[in-house]
Amino acid sequence: MLKGHLDLIVLAALSAGPAHGYAVIEAIRRRSGYAFDLPEGTIYPALHRLEQTGLLVSRWVTAESGRRRRVYALTRRGERALAERRAVWQQFCAAIGGLLAGTRASGRPA
Amino acid sequence: MISDYLESLAGALRFDRSLSRRVRQEVEDHLSEAVAAHPGSDRPEAEQRAIANFGDPHVIAAQFAVVSVAKQTRRAGAAIILVIAGVFIAMKARVAWYAMTQCAIGDDVKVVSGSVGLIDRYSFWLSVIIGIGGWAYISGRGIPAAFYTVYRKRLRRFLLLCTAATAALFVSVISDGVLTALRLTGAESFVEFVVPIFSMAIEIVCAGALVFQIHSVTQRATSMAALLKT
Repeated sequence: MLKGHLDLIVLAALSAGPAHGYAVIEAIRRRSGYAFDLPEGTIYPALHRLEQTGLLVSRWVTAESGRRRRVYALTRRGERALAERRAVWQQFCAAIGGLLAGTRASGRPA
Repeated sequence: MISDYLESLAGALRFDRSLSRRVRQEVEDHLSEAVAAHPGSDRPEAEQRAIANFGDPHVIAAQFAVVSVAKQTRRAGAAIILVIAGVFIAMKARVAWYAMTQCAIGDDVKVVSGSVGLIDRYSFWLSVIIGIGGWAYISGRGIPAAFYTVYRKRLRRFLLLCTAATAALFVSVISDGVLTALRLTGAESFVEFVVPIFSMAIEIVCAGALVFQIHSVTQRATSMAALLKT
């Protein structure tokens, strides 16, 4: 299920500000209450893909450790895409919420 | 341990050298960060855990390969348009030069040049139509997260369109070469040759650049398919 929403997750993680890959993964873990523990390697191809489609921009910076790292940030298009996807997601949540509102939690399947 | 892992990942992406270099640096930073996040633990153990959390290098490389193929595909789509524009400008420059130097075609080759001119015109416009179609087909689509069957078919269709556009362009360039040779047969001074020969060279380079771009897409797609098999 997470795979289909990976782009939204990454965009949301970067909405707080520019970050490098490791920090994006940490932000996803932390902000999801440690519910999303994605395979770390899958984030990088997603970052590259989003950059290719113009939703992210990246640049090399030198970290305190002296290592070079790639920092990603949302572009205007990325911000718009995040807003659109957030609205779609909220509509979906409201629709599912409406459907479930009339049901009763049951321990056994019907 | 980390360097072996990086070697394996970068090696799987060697078909795209700039991507391979970038991924190596990014992942090295990530793994070092992951190791540093557990200062109390044993170094080899922390490295092993960081690598395990990152995932199978071939699986990760295959995901990067999709992005690389998509990038090259878009580049090839844009190259078609630029190459066709380049060939068109070169053709127009040559025609303008002929008008300026009053370099006329000989009566004995007029029938041949008329037929070749017709082939040239139709093949060029065919390459324009197919080329624009190919570019529009690929540029309006997003980059998939994986090498899905739909994307595989899309890539095949795009390569088919590119090949057809390039073939038509080659026919046009060859026809231009024949027409230039026919027109220059009676030319007397070296100056008359300069612009036609130079414009023909531009056309040949443009067509060659297009072949190179298509070859790059094919090469990357083949490498990606090989990665998916492993």
